[in-house]
Amino acid sequence: MPVLKGKELRVVGFLCNWCSYGGADTAGVGRFSQPTDLRIVRVPCSGRVDPLFIIKALISGADGVLVSGCHPRDCHYSHGNFYARRRLETLKSFLPALGIDPERFQYTWVSASEGQRWKNVVSTFVEKVHQLGHAPHIEDAVPYLPLAAAGDALRAPLRPLAYPPAGSLAQSLERLRERIRAALPELDCVIGWQQGYDALHATPLFMRKPEDVDKLTWGPLNVHNLATYLPQFKNRKVGVVVKGCDSRSVIELLQEKLIEPDNVRVFGMPCEGVVDVARVQKALGADDGGDHAGTAPASMSVEGDVLTVTGATPAQLKLADVVAEKCRTCDTPSPLLGDVVEGVASAPAGAPPAAPPGLEALDAMTPEQRRGFWRAQMERCLRCYACRNACPMCVCRDQCIGESRDPHWTTQEGNVREKLQFQIIHALHLAGRCTECGECQRACPVNIPVLALKQWMNRSVRDLFDYRAGMDVEAVPPLLSFAVEEKNIKEHGL
Amino acid sequence: MSFARYIARGELARALDLMARGRVAYAPRREADAVVFRPRAEGEEPLLARATVPPKGIIFPQSERLFAFIREKDPNDPGHTTVRLDATADIPPALIFGGRPCDARGFHIFDRVYLNGPHRDPYYAARRDATVVVTLACAKPCSTCFCHWTGCGPADTTGSDILMTPVEGGFVAQAVTPRGQEVLEGASLPEAGADRVMAAEAVHSATLSALEAQNPAPDLSTTPRRLRERFDDSGFWRAMSDKCLACGACTYLCPTCYCFNITDENDGGDGMRGRRLRSWDNCMSSLFTREASGHNPRMGKALRLRNRVGHKFSYYPDLHEGIVSCNGCGRCITGCPVSVDIREMVVRATEPSEETPNA
Amino acid sequence: MPDAITPEAGAHVTTLGSGFTDNPYLPDVATVLETVQETPAIKTLRVRIDDAARMDAFRFNPGQVGQLSLFGVGESTFVINSPPTRMDYLQFSIMRAGEVTAALHGLKPGDKVGVRAPLGNWFPFEDMRGKDIVFVGGGIGMAPLRTLLLYMLDNRADYGNITLLYGARTPGDMAFRDDVQDWLGRSDMNTTLTVDQAPDDWPHRAGLIPHVLLDLAPSNANSVAVLCGPPIMIKFTVEALKKLHFADEQIITTLERRMKCGIGICGRCNIGTKYVCVDGPVFSYAELKELPNEL
Repeated sequence: MPVLKGKELRVVGFLCNWCSYGGADTAGVGRFSQPTDLRIVRVPCSGRVDPLFIIKALISGADGVLVSGCHPRDCHYSHGNFYARRRLETLKSFLPALGIDPERFQYTWVSASEGQRWKNVVSTFVEKVHQLGHAPHIEDAVPYLPLAAAGDALRAPLRPLAYPPAGSLAQSLERLRERIRAALPELDCVIGWQQGYDALHATPLFMRKPEDVDKLTWGPLNVHNLATYLPQFKNRKVGVVVKGCDSRSVIELLQEKLIEPDNVRVFGMPCEGVVDVARVQKALGADDGGDHAGTAPASMSVEGDVLTVTGATPAQLKLADVVAEKCRTCDTPSPLLGDVVEGVASAPAGAPPAAPPGLEALDAMTPEQRRGFWRAQMERCLRCYACRNACPMCVCRDQCIGESRDPHWTTQEGNVREKLQFQIIHALHLAGRCTECGECQRACPVNIPVLALKQWMNRSVRDLFDYRAGMDVEAVPPLLSFAVEEKNIKEHGL
Repeated sequence: MSFARYIARGELARALDLMARGRVAYAPRREADAVVFRPRAEGEEPLLARATVPPKGIIFPQSERLFAFIREKDPNDPGHTTVRLDATADIPPALIFGGRPCDARGFHIFDRVYLNGPHRDPYYAARRDATVVVTLACAKPCSTCFCHWTGCGPADTTGSDILMTPVEGGFVAQAVTPRGQEVLEGASLPEAGADRVMAAEAVHSATLSALEAQNPAPDLSTTPRRLRERFDDSGFWRAMSDKCLACGACTYLCPTCYCFNITDENDGGDGMRGRRLRSWDNCMSSLFTREASGHNPRMGKALRLRNRVGHKFSYYPDLHEGIVSCNGCGRCITGCPVSVDIREMVVRATEPSEETPNA
Repeated sequence: MPDAITPEAGAHVTTLGSGFTDNPYLPDVATVLETVQETPAIKTLRVRIDDAARMDAFRFNPGQVGQLSLFGVGESTFVINSPPTRMDYLQFSIMRAGEVTAALHGLKPGDKVGVRAPLGNWFPFEDMRGKDIVFVGGGIGMAPLRTLLLYMLDNRADYGNITLLYGARTPGDMAFRDDVQDWLGRSDMNTTLTVDQAPDDWPHRAGLIPHVLLDLAPSNANSVAVLCGPPIMIKFTVEALKKLHFADEQIITTLERRMKCGIGICGRCNIGTKYVCVDGPVFSYAELKELPNEL
């Protein structure tokens, strides 16, 4: 295209074979003049369009992407475009999280006879893209790292929970242990938590013998979502101990039939919040500004909303000050399902904050700042996939398309574009499935706030489909189904 | 280490500028919620904290181009194509400041494999040659440090060109290699003097004592053999790996992990140009040993964890005069999302067990 | 982020070698001379390194391997299955299994490939002089045996009796047809073919390799057995050889692993302390028994 270099922008079109491609052909036969910027990829159906196609095009340098299919109710394959409508509307709602102008992506419906309409669609869209100009590239974004990084600023206080009566936690825990011991003989194991390598860490515990159950602990150190281990057990019977947020992951796994209800026994207790270990260390003055954990406390115990730390840096900390971000917006402290739930249920008093802190921060940024934010944050990503492997919904780990050569989505290069592409794949594949357990962010060894992308996605799903993942075993995730009339999707009139 | 200079605390930035003249200098910097090595600007006051991610990526990049391939059609014979390979790289002189002994020893672990094995790695050799390593000795341990278990230590000089130790008022900078001495000479620094050198040595001993007190080093002399004996103890490895997520955090945070992958990529869709890349890989991934037929000698994560611990504490020492391929930095412990603890695995493997009672 | 004072970018461009001999990651560019479709799944490529001086100076021992690459697709390890005594070309036989091998199957004469060779160890052909040799090959396992067998035939006086047992699932799965015809006709070696499922007009043996081997009952006196094939065939053939009283040191085989660097650095192909790409791929059964049980 050297002749038109500088005059044409790069606009990619995905057209369904039956209607829109035919419509484009009709426009051609009718000799309608249209801008030449559009490069067309023919697909069998708009339902074939994976949102990743649009993402890949945009982050690889496309200035605009257009998807066109048959009109709803006229899909050559009956339902393909109903699925497409859901996926593509969700994608459009997600693009701003990355700092991508959602106007650069449109989806529409053009039938085979609508040559004139096709010409109008192309002309309007390409003109819009020209108005927007060349799309900025993530690699060129000015790095933006706001000072109030996660862990520094004091966020909205943890809403008061009805903490269990003094001393009752120990009793509830012992009753839980008894019930687990009783269930052990028929189970391969029961997964819970035990004391970790120091007073600030717990670690997953796989209980197989009654003596193992003695080691089971409960408290604010139980940060791990143990549901992530369940799909590995395939046809074996296994038990799992859950907090409220973890139970949503179990529900989601059951919903998608990734685990069988007969093979899982759920044990739980209500949760008063889990700590962000980095915040605790900072509050204790136990870090040197770097990676050193300093001297570990001799012990840490919790009573009500107070953490008591003994040892080299003794302190009394308020749980509200050191709790994990996700706990601030939690409204499911008690397990939503469970064969055994011990302990006093507690509910947060007061309304939750409008948005979780990470999402709030992202909302406050301009698109340019968001691009700079992700560019700066992904710079230190190691591509270790801890975020993926900690995620209970990511069951494809060994065949993940983020690493495969067939299909070949990413290269092995350690640049921001490849790294961000994986995060986008993760967020898209979790759309309507993510229970916001926050493990992806907690697992990151370099503390990249990847949860914000999923929180944004979850908000889009909530707004579009009135749906939250992991609440109802009988529900069907919205992107695995469709509606002929969509309540919350307004057609864009292109 | 008789060549020693003194750097007053207030002079540190200026001294670094002088030492790094003509070189790209890397130093730890806080970036959002982590500390990573980044190019240092002239005059920039460095962060003296230990980095979250070791500096191995400066000499062994997360990804690098091995060569580019360019196909050219013969103008006289269109059916005939030649291929040209371009194996060039821009490798400027560099200086790494602010790593700890548990970072720098990692370069020696690499050297033995990349430089002194049956084949020499020219990419690694070029970057290693081009990079001066200025290491900071540790004045205090943190709770997960176990460098004194693995043959490393808070003032170990292995892999470094210069060792700097914090003393009252500043730092004693000691040359470890002739190149280190050259760099210090070029920075026009005052001599440290015998008293200060002794003070530095006192810091070294104090930290080592603190480490010993916090966490006495077990006897790991039988560990290589015990790990061989424990190879078929599947119950042991299952228990050790139950909670492992088989991600790559431990591997990529480790200063001594050196495994890599080689992949080809194309520039554009016509196959006329492209590149062959080398990138970090990790043995905890099931893709690591998966063959094209689908057969995988290390199908389960227990087998992969067994290989990881085996390689670090048994195979590498057996091949390299007893040197353990672990520096005891503890990042694999703190970085692991579920706190898999290699200290625990090594100690338990070394103990007598029901399966293999003879320790 | 503040700008670093950096030496001018591009000011320190180093060339990291010109070919395999000074950069073990850099392939020598080679041209495909001819291809032979041995079976639907196995294709043979005969290549010649473009740099004439390099091709003339190329030396290798039977059993050594090469990393064959298709630029833009990837690399894969194959034994050089032509013998060092016939240097018109280097021959590789490729079983189609994945991305790279499928692409290699699509090559035509004139196409370019990359060759990083020779890599790995070799069959102990010098120690085998004066001995009787029993070759047992299954399917594509015939490829590494071919290089040693042809080498021995080209140095016939140095070796004793040569026996070959070559088996495949069906006649259509047998590779190296022309060679096999030649070997059947030679009087200075004893060739037996067998297939698992024999059609009616099959003039040779039927039955699994280990059974046929026991039937042939080669003597273990002053003998060496060289086997190559799928892991299950190796396992049962070794059992058969033990029944025939072959000592561990008298049994030689090759191992396969996913490989990348081929030079003992990337850390991938190890079994315990041994790297299949430098300490192998040729191993004696005695050596295999020392390895951790990770085959």
